[in-house]
Amino acid sequence: MGEQGRYLYAVCRGLTPEAVDGIVGLSGGRIDLVMEGDLVGLVSPVDLDEYGEDGLRRNLERLDWLEEAARGHDAVVQAAAAIAPTAPTRLATIFLDDEGVRRRLRERRDAIAAALDRVEGHEEWSVKVLTRVADTEPEPVPVASSGADYLRRKREQQEARFADDHDAHFVAERVHDALVPVVSASRRLSPQDPRLAGHEGTMVHNAAYLVHRDRSGEFVDRVQEQSDAYPGVVVDARGPWPPYSFAMLDES
Amino acid sequence: MSSTAVAPAASDNRAIALVDLLDRLLGTGVVIAGDVVISLAGVDLVELRLRALLRTIEGDA
Repeated sequence: MGEQGRYLYAVCRGLTPEAVDGIVGLSGGRIDLVMEGDLVGLVSPVDLDEYGEDGLRRNLERLDWLEEAARGHDAVVQAAAAIAPTAPTRLATIFLDDEGVRRRLRERRDAIAAALDRVEGHEEWSVKVLTRVADTEPEPVPVASSGADYLRRKREQQEARFADDHDAHFVAERVHDALVPVVSASRRLSPQDPRLAGHEGTMVHNAAYLVHRDRSGEFVDRVQEQSDAYPGVVVDARGPWPPYSFAMLDES
Repeated sequence: MSSTAVAPAASDNRAIALVDLLDRLLGTGVVIAGDVVISLAGVDLVELRLRALLRTIEGDA
């Protein structure tokens, strides 16, 4: 076992130690609370052989390691966010000791406080819009009578696909517009790589919505309405999650 | 917190799909710079690695 560092999962306000009772950190480490004024950093010890620069450079290329770290990070964040305003940190935010954590909390106090104010009482929902993969494909293609015939049919298929994607983009904007009035903030994320996400069809919309707990029922209803209104696309909504996409700090 | 799929889901139904989690944990929202990342002098290690990872997966496909 090498030198130990401190892994910071999230910064909370008004979190008491009981909140993380029974929650285990990465590599089975104990979760400790680092206090700085009214801010509470959630940390656990990690081995710097694994989480130092060299270790991270090596490990972040291993999908199994990345998944374990991301899930472990998420478990701690979920436990805290269920109880107190929580600003999750980026994966692998590592300090050499608790004093390093406290120093950073002091330096960024105003920005952290603003982020916590923004997310307090809120949850994050993910909404994606995907083109529906046609059930009819592959359609029986009559034997092309000529090369020109084949090329024409090929072009028509491509144009149809393009038109579908274009319509789906239009629908995605309508869905987004319908959700905005019931959310406190929204953020567009890049469409995901189907090789990672495992989806079929084209992802034309991938967004995060910050929804107040009191309005989550209303939000879910709106999503359902939109899903019913546009049967030509898949509207995939998930949540509620901790406010990962809305805890970013303003530039200092 | 649990996950509620309120519409037909295209991906699996785990609480947060790994790809969604990585979108968020590696996304643009840098909350706090840690000691380890800071010593890399502005190089965004995590995103760099993810890109390398994606290239690997693409290479396999």
